[in-house]
Amino acid sequence: MPRIDSHPILKLPEGRKLVNFFFNGEPVEGYEGEVISSALMALGKSTFSYHPKDGAPQGLFCANGQCSQCTVLIDGIPQKSCLTPLAEGMDVRSLRGLASLPAADEGLKQAERRALHTDILVIGGGPAGLSAAYELGKMGFQVVVADDKDRLGGKLVLQTHKFFGSEKDCYAGVRGIDIALKLEKKLKKLPTVTILKNSPVVGIFKDRKAGIYKDYDSYLLVEFTALVVASGAREKNLLFPGNDLPGVLGAGAFQTLVNRDLVAASKRILVLGSGNVGLIAAYHALQAGMQVVGIVEIMGKINGYKVHADKIRRMGVPIHLNTTILKAEGAALAGSLESGADIRLCRVLTAKVDDRFKPMPNTLLCYEVDTLLIAAGLAPCDEFLRQAQSYGILAIAAGDAEEIAEASSAMFGGKIAAYNLARMLGKKQELEPSWLSTKDILKSKPGESFSRSPLAPQAEWRPVFFCSEEIPCNPCATVCPVSAISLRSIRGTIMDLPYFSGHTCIGCFSCVAICPGLAISLVRKLSDTSAEVVLPWEFSVDFPDGQLMELVGQEGEYIETAPVIGRRKNPKNNTWLLHFKTSLNNASRIAGIRVQAEEVSRPLVSKPYQDSSTDENDPIVCRCERVRLAEIVAFIKENHVRDINQLKTLRVGMGACGGKTCSQLLDKAFLLAGVDPAEVEPGSLRPLFMEMPIGEIVNEGLSRIGGKNAGARGAP
Amino acid sequence: MKTYDVIIIGAGSIGLPLSWNLARKGYKVAVLDHEASWGRGQNRAAIGGIRATHSDPAKIKICLESIKIVSSMKATYGLDLEWRQQGYLYVAFDQDTKTSFLSLLKVQKAAGLDIDWIGPERVLELAPGLKREGLLGGTFSPGDGFASPLNTATAFHKLAMDSKVDFFFNNRVEAIDIRGERIQSIKAAGQTWSAALYVNAAGAEASELASLAGLTIPVHPDCHEAGVTEPVQRFLEPMVVDILPDAESGNYYFYQAETGQLVFCITPRPQIWGRDKDSTSGFLPLCLRRMLELYPRLRNLRVRRTWRGMYPMTPDGLPLLGYLDGAQNFLHAVGMCGQGFMMGPGLGKILADSIDAGGCAQNPAGSTEYSLIFKDLACFRTFEHSEFLR
Repeated sequence: MPRIDSHPILKLPEGRKLVNFFFNGEPVEGYEGEVISSALMALGKSTFSYHPKDGAPQGLFCANGQCSQCTVLIDGIPQKSCLTPLAEGMDVRSLRGLASLPAADEGLKQAERRALHTDILVIGGGPAGLSAAYELGKMGFQVVVADDKDRLGGKLVLQTHKFFGSEKDCYAGVRGIDIALKLEKKLKKLPTVTILKNSPVVGIFKDRKAGIYKDYDSYLLVEFTALVVASGAREKNLLFPGNDLPGVLGAGAFQTLVNRDLVAASKRILVLGSGNVGLIAAYHALQAGMQVVGIVEIMGKINGYKVHADKIRRMGVPIHLNTTILKAEGAALAGSLESGADIRLCRVLTAKVDDRFKPMPNTLLCYEVDTLLIAAGLAPCDEFLRQAQSYGILAIAAGDAEEIAEASSAMFGGKIAAYNLARMLGKKQELEPSWLSTKDILKSKPGESFSRSPLAPQAEWRPVFFCSEEIPCNPCATVCPVSAISLRSIRGTIMDLPYFSGHTCIGCFSCVAICPGLAISLVRKLSDTSAEVVLPWEFSVDFPDGQLMELVGQEGEYIETAPVIGRRKNPKNNTWLLHFKTSLNNASRIAGIRVQAEEVSRPLVSKPYQDSSTDENDPIVCRCERVRLAEIVAFIKENHVRDINQLKTLRVGMGACGGKTCSQLLDKAFLLAGVDPAEVEPGSLRPLFMEMPIGEIVNEGLSRIGGKNAGARGAP
Repeated sequence: MKTYDVIIIGAGSIGLPLSWNLARKGYKVAVLDHEASWGRGQNRAAIGGIRATHSDPAKIKICLESIKIVSSMKATYGLDLEWRQQGYLYVAFDQDTKTSFLSLLKVQKAAGLDIDWIGPERVLELAPGLKREGLLGGTFSPGDGFASPLNTATAFHKLAMDSKVDFFFNNRVEAIDIRGERIQSIKAAGQTWSAALYVNAAGAEASELASLAGLTIPVHPDCHEAGVTEPVQRFLEPMVVDILPDAESGNYYFYQAETGQLVFCITPRPQIWGRDKDSTSGFLPLCLRRMLELYPRLRNLRVRRTWRGMYPMTPDGLPLLGYLDGAQNFLHAVGMCGQGFMMGPGLGKILADSIDAGGCAQNPAGSTEYSLIFKDLACFRTFEHSEFLR
């Protein structure tokens, strides 16, 4: 079973209850309360349903309630499996064709309008929303925080890695999962703040009310004076044939599955995109015991922090620059029925691109993988902001909804938004001037890279830094109890690189343990030929002392194989520190430990690829309604389209997700049709943001779906 | 100066079919609209019903023509409007409503409408799951139906383009030069345009356009909201209309579209005058409560989206067609009272035929075939009667 039963970082939940349910009539088991998509993935299922339009296999894609591709029939009613918690006895079935409406004909007994008043509604309980709510609540405003998940923290809860930034400002060196808990604890102390978990906002209305799908079973209208939109970001999608296959996942979706739900339903992974999200997702995959065959990046340089990229390369994952994906191919999994084949990604074809991003002949490679992670960047979820602004409602954005940046910066963004909003509401609040600059620093793109002069090991411990690119980060300097590490003062901010200050290092290893980039080692000379090197380790320690490991340099180049001579755990950072005995000459060049064998990332010899104009080679743009690129381009040309709204005739954006998944792909279609996207009228925004049953909107108060016969809600 | 035979202002429900019909007859036609593309005024907000079930004979005739055109679009031009001819079902739960329906039947039948009173059993056959308690029956007009306004507007736009109609979007009429009771030219987007005939098909902005020519037209929009659900397998064939008002609303209606989605709309009480197209929080709880009272099985259906549009109302609920004193070459086809989508296809043909037959100011029909329509709906009428089935 692809369940994670041990993990180097994550605490595994105890006492989870197994329940019985049915998938397509077959009795199966899953954990009570986990989302059904995760239960299905844990059972090895990839195809959940078949699209009504063309029977295409449908599976998990966003894992975030946004795209609706994971819809299944639950007790007879179509539901997003990624949002529906599993309960005993549920009858889960693949959706084939359209669902039929249950004949639940018992008359309406009651209808109720539920309302709540507040000063400020904060949409989203991630780092920005929680920080904003805390500041506003402290100022005395009545605040309601509405979040669509059952756990606060937004994407922090997926982040098993330690954070960059500064310790003082944003919990640098602490793991995202732990930051979320700290923020929530702080917020809960404020009597002015009401938290609505599991309660997505589904619409903003002209009369300054927000419709909230409370607990996913009732409708609450919250009347507010002002709005903080901290709804985060969604993952960008890409156009390539096969982009819609089960097994092609957003990198964030993958992190949800692995880090939140502890389901490791992948064996071999290819990552598309070398930004921080892709790099971190690759690391999380390795930690969950999967093989990562590589990371492909269409640009000529790595997009994320160099420390992240180096870390991944040291583990043994190659990064292929100037490379694109030509096609993803699927196959029916063994043992699945012809009538209801479980189809999943099995192969990805890549090619090198020229300087105009065109694939070059004779550069094709084929990777056999069951999972392709799309890490093509993020786009702000700013619909509520735009909707509110178009209605003339006072609203402010914070976090990724304002601007895509690190979570550390989002926490500051939330605080700043709170002060700005308070001032707009007439409250005299002076913003701490340093916050603005701190936020700017935290969201900084990497600065320059510097080479460091080699260090000769001494008898005393010395830190060695494999941190050569300026990024906003300083926990190594602040954690050192003897000030042996300081940032050199070129910029005078935490962008500056850390250096050994010359004070005696006491060998506490705190810097090694806290560095989010795993980019510090401690080295000392043992003899004229040998040295001791201490490296951080965030994998299983299921090996004896004396174990030989392949040690590598900063960018993953092999240096030597050396034995483990000791280990210790830094409890504060939950990081292991491994001691190696190495040759003296190599010691200060050793930056990390290879965890994945080279063979893993070898491509297959590619079969010849034929670019034909079949449907199969035409990427899907609109997933909900399955509209392909060529069809859209032809329609634009034929009808002289200069208005995105006209694509609705093709049903683009008319599906369950409301255009959330495809709208960022439409520029490409206009370009291909010879139309400058800047000339194109944008699509109009309308509630609802998420589908909601009629019975729950009128609050008729019938039990929600779950368990035996519950599907016939309201049936006598 | 840009010169045309006919300039139509408004690329919507009326302007699109009219432009195509005129171009087919050989006229050189331009269509101007201030929106970014076609059908972006109230056409896009229509829910898609096309019924000839009216209480006014002129409207019945226009809509019968619409139905004829729309139902042949696929076969004739290969354009799929998602048309479904499954009828309109007006339900009655009280004696007064039943009596009104029955008395209307005579007028409706006389105008050529296929409609009859059906009993509760037949109603439930057509709409399984509808509330049985208190149901007296209803009228059913099987020739009515519904189509996708998106597809319909795009189809007429395509046909018009193929017939060489010139479309100018993001083009708002700023001034009308009127001399000697005739429009000499109009100004739009910094250019001067002239034509032998100008058509006011400006929908909700008809009054504003007419006022540029110094004319007063009693068209005042009010707002309605509508919504659409997820698609499900077919369970409902006709459009269901309940005209019985309650404290907060007038009639409401819904149907299951070709795509399987339920589309619904309600008339607010009191009317909400104005042009605000922003969605309000009151619509869904109100409209859906009434729908569930009538049709409990809808409870498990998920609402996907809502929107708001305008009904360009006239004092008596009937359209305004023809000319006004003071502007003899300015034809008005406005005040559709929320029924532009269903009247547009028929009206486009009728107006083009009349223009082509040499329709003049006082008898725009030019012939007697449509004289009833032009007489009943003349813009200079006195608005003494009000239509029952608005």
